[in-house]
Amino acid sequence: MAAMSLLLRAAAAWGARRAVGGAAGGARLRWPSGAARLPGTVAPVRHSSHGKRMFIIKATSFYDSRFLNLLRFYIFLTGIPVAVFITYVNIFIGEAELAEIPEGYVPDYWEYYKHPISRWIARYLLDPPEKNYEKAMALLDVEAKKTELRLMELEARRLMRARGDGPWYHYETPDKNLTDESMKATPDN
Amino acid sequence: MPEDRDWEVYKAPPTRTPVLEKDTSLSNPVHLFQAAFSYVLDRPITFVREWIERQQAKNKFYYYHQQFRRVPDLSECMEGDYLCFFEAEAQWRRDRMVDQEIVAIVRERFGACQQREGPNQFQNCAKEMEQLVQVTKAYQDKYGELGAHGNARTCLMKQKHRMMEERKAQENADQ
Repeated sequence: MAAMSLLLRAAAAWGARRAVGGAAGGARLRWPSGAARLPGTVAPVRHSSHGKRMFIIKATSFYDSRFLNLLRFYIFLTGIPVAVFITYVNIFIGEAELAEIPEGYVPDYWEYYKHPISRWIARYLLDPPEKNYEKAMALLDVEAKKTELRLMELEARRLMRARGDGPWYHYETPDKNLTDESMKATPDN
Repeated sequence: MPEDRDWEVYKAPPTRTPVLEKDTSLSNPVHLFQAAFSYVLDRPITFVREWIERQQAKNKFYYYHQQFRRVPDLSECMEGDYLCFFEAEAQWRRDRMVDQEIVAIVRERFGACQQREGPNQFQNCAKEMEQLVQVTKAYQDKYGELGAHGNARTCLMKQKHRMMEERKAQENADQ
């Protein structure tokens, strides 16, 4: 490549000398001036593989490539172990087969799932669905009893207020002996 | 790995291609393609798959379809018995899911019959079509326009309205 550029420089110098000579000389053969030239090359060389080294000006790709590298790194950091683990489970452990429930056998609640990882999650991480069902029923029971008691209290209050014969709705009134009815003793006041 | 569908259920009728009499001595190039397919694709894949199944056969385990006990329906619950309502609602939702699966299966059967019969479908698939019409009509009657928030109570009210209209129609017919 260095030899090629030397050759080009030699050719350029020779061409320059010939152009100077040709301006004085007159009718001489010139290089075909209509031929397209690369900026920087003086003589078109047929077998050149490198040409002149160019400094290509373009926008930076540093930030983009850094981002993509980091993205790939952090995704694969956990992605590859997870993928390997799932492949291992699918190949060597495999999914469950569907079977009829044998006589007198009550399957555990995780035995209703097909994939081994789902079974594991259901068995060790999640609560049995019967427990959730019973918890919901217990909540409903408590709330139902509360509603019932509140309605009964409202009814009792209404009746005691109306009839006045219960322990509630007693209001302190002043003693009857304290009232001075001397005003009302004579009718002509 | 997704399962293949059950090949025994929708069995295509046996083909009736005639046996050809060979008059040339040239070998059939189709046999060459079949042999190439077999050696390049079929055998390696089958070998890998069978190896995987041998690994999985060492410890087999099973899964079951859960059977739920029947509980009293919403129409058999006393008023204010919220526990009974809850259990009846859960049972109604399970029954609706089962009915959706039934409709899907009947529709799939009809589709399979159509695919199998091709241009003869209108004559040969009449039974499946009738079954699909009946099943979808029944589903629409029961769960039809309840909407996304449909529950056991709205379904029961719909049934009540249907019965009232039936009775009214019968009275009008009697008159």
